[in-house]
Amino acid sequence: MAEIREDLESAHARAWLRLASPGAWLTAEEKCAVAAEARAALSCAACAKRKAALSPEQLVPPHYSVSHLDDAWIDLIHRIRTDADRLTPTWFARVVPAVLTVERYVETVGVIAEVTAVDSFHAAMGMPLWPLPAPLPGAPNGVRPSAAKLAGAWVPTVAPEDVSASDPDPVQAMYRNRSAANIHRALSLVPEAVNGFFDLDDAMYLPDALLRKFEEEPRAITHAQIELLAARVSALNRCLY
Amino acid sequence: MLLRGSGQHAGETYNDRFAIDAEAESGVPHARLLLDYAEAAVAGSADLSAKRDAVRDELGAEALVDAAATIAIFQAVVKIADATGIPLEDAKAEISAEFRADLGLDAFAAK
Repeated sequence: MAEIREDLESAHARAWLRLASPGAWLTAEEKCAVAAEARAALSCAACAKRKAALSPEQLVPPHYSVSHLDDAWIDLIHRIRTDADRLTPTWFARVVPAVLTVERYVETVGVIAEVTAVDSFHAAMGMPLWPLPAPLPGAPNGVRPSAAKLAGAWVPTVAPEDVSASDPDPVQAMYRNRSAANIHRALSLVPEAVNGFFDLDDAMYLPDALLRKFEEEPRAITHAQIELLAARVSALNRCLY
Repeated sequence: MLLRGSGQHAGETYNDRFAIDAEAESGVPHARLLLDYAEAAVAGSADLSAKRDAVRDELGAEALVDAAATIAIFQAVVKIADATGIPLEDAKAEISAEFRADLGLDAFAAK
């Protein structure tokens, strides 16, 4: 079995601690349930049928479910985990407001992304998936950046230039040592989701500062090999971004 | 685009057609080995174990970990991009217009 870099193991452990902790808009129980559903989606026959269907609107659940979340939320989670490339602005406008507030939706996406990253790593390595953590007590903190606005994405986002010194630390931390790229802005309605996901991203991909430092090779594969993998995985997922 | 930048730094011209054409030669060292592993990991296919062993045998255990980590994080990045509907940045869209048209990547855009 290959030895895992210590910084990578630590990043995964921090992701699991975040998952177990109350978020901005979701309780810890809800976050763990979202993670469990994201994982269950890979074994869900309804999701497999939908993925194979000509239109994702053709098939309706019941899904293989492992939580007490309501059916519409479960459907949304399974859809993002297994058929995200066929999400559309029309789907977003029709489905999301009926299921979740946009803040809870963005945090749901962040949880799905983090559990997808950690689980996909272990699966790719042929290692058992980590057991999901037990939720910790506490209430969501309800931090919403005051500068969030609709600006091209389906969800409100915060532009780096709109972050001010009076914003709470999670808001200010979003663009610290990170570019203004739209992928960094995507979850910015929930700053802790940005900070959490890109903490993982720094360890699993590359820190932003090293992306274009082609003269430095901090990994055991080269920049070119990393970008080759990134581009192919994005294309296999039919992701334009 | 970062692959092109990496190629320019190395004095190489990498062919990015590999992104959509599994048979295309990219020019990146050990590309076929890494792409086979990525494809098996994304599909969860039965030959994943063999593809993983091939990467470990050829490139080493540390390279395998870094390849797996890259594959895994991009499995997640695409979900954030797709589920939030973020657009390509104007500058990237302009620079990549020809490349996207050539490879047919615009077909991936959410309608």
